[in-house]
Amino acid sequence: MADRYLILEDGSVYLGEGFGSPAVSTGEIVFNTSMTGYQEIITNQIYHNQIIAFTQPTIGSYGINHDSYESILPTVKGVVVRDVASISTNRQRRWSLDQYLKQQNIPGISHIDTRHLAKQLRASGPMKASIVDVADAHAFDQLGATVLTNQQVAAVATPKPFPNPGTGLNVVVVDFGLKHGILRELSKRRCNVTVLPYTATTEEIINLDPDGVVLSTGPGKPQDLPASVLTMIQNIQNRIPLFAIGLGHELFAMANGAQIMKLAPEHHGANHPIREVITNQIIYASQGQGFVVDPDTVDRDKLITTFVDLIDGTIQGLRFRDFPAFSVQFFPDGAPGPIEARDVFDEFVESMQQARGPVW
Amino acid sequence: MQKEVVDSMAMKRALTRITYEIIEQNKGIRDVVLVGIKTRGVYVAQRIAERLHQLEDAVIPVGALDITPFRDDQPQNAIQNPVAYQLDFSVADKKVVLVDDVLYTGRTIRAALDALMGGGRPQCISLAVLVDRGHRELPIRADFIGKNIPTASQERIKVSVTEVDGHDGIEIIS
Repeated sequence: MADRYLILEDGSVYLGEGFGSPAVSTGEIVFNTSMTGYQEIITNQIYHNQIIAFTQPTIGSYGINHDSYESILPTVKGVVVRDVASISTNRQRRWSLDQYLKQQNIPGISHIDTRHLAKQLRASGPMKASIVDVADAHAFDQLGATVLTNQQVAAVATPKPFPNPGTGLNVVVVDFGLKHGILRELSKRRCNVTVLPYTATTEEIINLDPDGVVLSTGPGKPQDLPASVLTMIQNIQNRIPLFAIGLGHELFAMANGAQIMKLAPEHHGANHPIREVITNQIIYASQGQGFVVDPDTVDRDKLITTFVDLIDGTIQGLRFRDFPAFSVQFFPDGAPGPIEARDVFDEFVESMQQARGPVW
Repeated sequence: MQKEVVDSMAMKRALTRITYEIIEQNKGIRDVVLVGIKTRGVYVAQRIAERLHQLEDAVIPVGALDITPFRDDQPQNAIQNPVAYQLDFSVADKKVVLVDDVLYTGRTIRAALDALMGGGRPQCISLAVLVDRGHRELPIRADFIGKNIPTASQERIKVSVTEVDGHDGIEIIS
């Protein structure tokens, strides 16, 4: 394995060993504290154009299997680990992480002091980084000159509607770069799903006569999306049961007057206890958020805070007071991570059933 | 034969959703009082009150009604011996949410409405039930329903609550 370097915008250099693709790449670096689930994390579109540093020391020990993709193709810019497992023995494994990253043309770098890196990123917040062969002035010039896109949603969301047929309730999913877990959980509940691009208008949604609407997860900053998205949410939320996740949650909050701010340190992992306010029950769920709803801007006459993060008190869920429209910041689909938050999908299905009335 | 159709998780969710729906329909919890019908309706009402307390940090009065003297299949002695008003708060100008475990013929609810009278004139009365099993014999419907369970008339629905039965769940017995 060849020596490679991870260089950061602030001038730091980490010497490591390359694996995966030998490509040079640049993206925003974030660290993820999940102990398992690297395949789901790498394929989650919320990490579009980002380099993921895993704090769990060994990554790759169960390879890559065909059950755990969260998108068809990964769009991360790099994978940073302490140690990449050279042997993976899971019976479902098809490829090693190294083979998979080679296939997908994604560079990886191992032998990085990820504990030091995570501490640094906790203090600084995410920044631009590159995985390069030579850490010279030229490489830093290139890194400094790179402008990262703010059109991540447009890059990963579906450009065209597509169906995911089922025999149950009719659900429209508005795609901001969804993870497959959302469709998987709706499929388990037999929903008949139509996925629409994030540019879908109120009419396009209403014309499909859905029993409920889901606003999906996605990458990037919610303020970078066109204001028409907020108008659509305002028009839909009082007519059809609405369930928003991740980026969708941030947009739902914005559509109802709340402000979104940068979160420091960001939440990427599955180890934050989250309290469901109404029952005082504690759950764990995987999170991937760089932004958060500013609690001071939430109109209490309009929205109820339903979930709270117990580590830093951030809002993890909201609900409209006057109609069944609710949202969660975390990923309730349990792919990867704890499955106890999947209940929220049942809550959504039951809200739709109730809004539709009994079937007899 | 006994079959569990709602487990404790689903029951918890149903109560949570009913709580949110009570806030939605009453535009908040101002003037809301809960009245549970004995036995299990009272525990269901208490759980909804706990949830409202968690969300809104307000104490919602919970009353318990014994509808036995008002049943329409009993000898008509209630009229001769008027039953005292059972709640320790007045329902005058309140938004009353009646709470029961199962809605079946609707006769229990009719009796409960009788039992409530004498407590003043409420703003409105709505009905929350954990299960609506159909087979109504009176023009009564629920506003908040945990689960619609279509049943045959010879089947029975058994709602269990931890406080009385040691566990939560809803079973269908045929």
